[in-house]
Amino acid sequence: MAAAQGTSGPALDYAVTCQGCHRADGAGTPGTVPPLAGSVGRFLGVPGGREFLVRVPGVAQAPLDDAALAAVLNWMLARFGRDDVPKGFVPYTAEEVGRLRGRPLTDVAGARRQLARAIERAKQSGERARR
Amino acid sequence: MTDGRPWLDRLCERAARQLARRTSRRSFLTRLGTALAGTAALPLLPVARAASESSPSVPDDAALPGEAGDPKSCHYWRHCAIDGFLCACCGGSQNACPPGTEMSPLTWIGTCRNPGDGKDYIISYNDCCGQTLCMRCRCTRTEGERPLYLTMKNNDLLWCFGTQSRAVNCSVAVVLGVATRS
Repeated sequence: MAAAQGTSGPALDYAVTCQGCHRADGAGTPGTVPPLAGSVGRFLGVPGGREFLVRVPGVAQAPLDDAALAAVLNWMLARFGRDDVPKGFVPYTAEEVGRLRGRPLTDVAGARRQLARAIERAKQSGERARR
Repeated sequence: MTDGRPWLDRLCERAARQLARRTSRRSFLTRLGTALAGTAALPLLPVARAASESSPSVPDDAALPGEAGDPKSCHYWRHCAIDGFLCACCGGSQNACPPGTEMSPLTWIGTCRNPGDGKDYIISYNDCCGQTLCMRCRCTRTEGERPLYLTMKNNDLLWCFGTQSRAVNCSVAVVLGVATRS
């Protein structure tokens, strides 16, 4: 029985704070909530992406302290980042998260569009390099 | 070739014999069976899909230790942070939507303490969508709820997102697991 094992730490914080919208498997809901699975790790590969993941409203305003929030972010990247998290990724620290969440984004959609374009460009140049 | 019968008779006989040669009774029964099973399963698909996606690893509800109380009561332990009409009073149960409604994949999640074993359980409050308000067993409890500006922790919102219909009927309280503070 799954209930007997118990959920604690970042997995519990994800369940109670993020999972309601991003879902247990990180799939999100098309058109309403962006997916984490197979997507979130790519942000770390472009300039500004690392900061973006902390400054988005859902993360910056989460009712968690800086240490717990950093732990959830690192847990989430390990779980849903899959092969997209760049090699040599340095985990978030409480200090970094505290600094970044103090500067929330004012134009979330605009920032996301810009990063999505950069991710697409990086993907294309990666494919060209492999050919 | 004429055997004295009218032409329509001969035509029908030829068509019937050809049909009998080309098909077997068994193949007809197979196709009929497939069609019947297909039409029976079709109306179930959207509801079943939403329910299975939103709760991938729900523990066996009936096997919860010390499970007690009335799911139709607002005081039932799982309802510690519910805001809406209890599905148990609306043709569903504490963890299943009434027929004709679809469980919202998006939800708000909290924890409630089970008095039966003293443990905190992770509870998902999914709205059931697709029918007008049930209007029975209204219940508003706010344990762990945050103000409206923290939308992901607020239960005043209608959570019929990602569903075919935005009309909310009632709310369920699905147990997702045990919370242990480390």
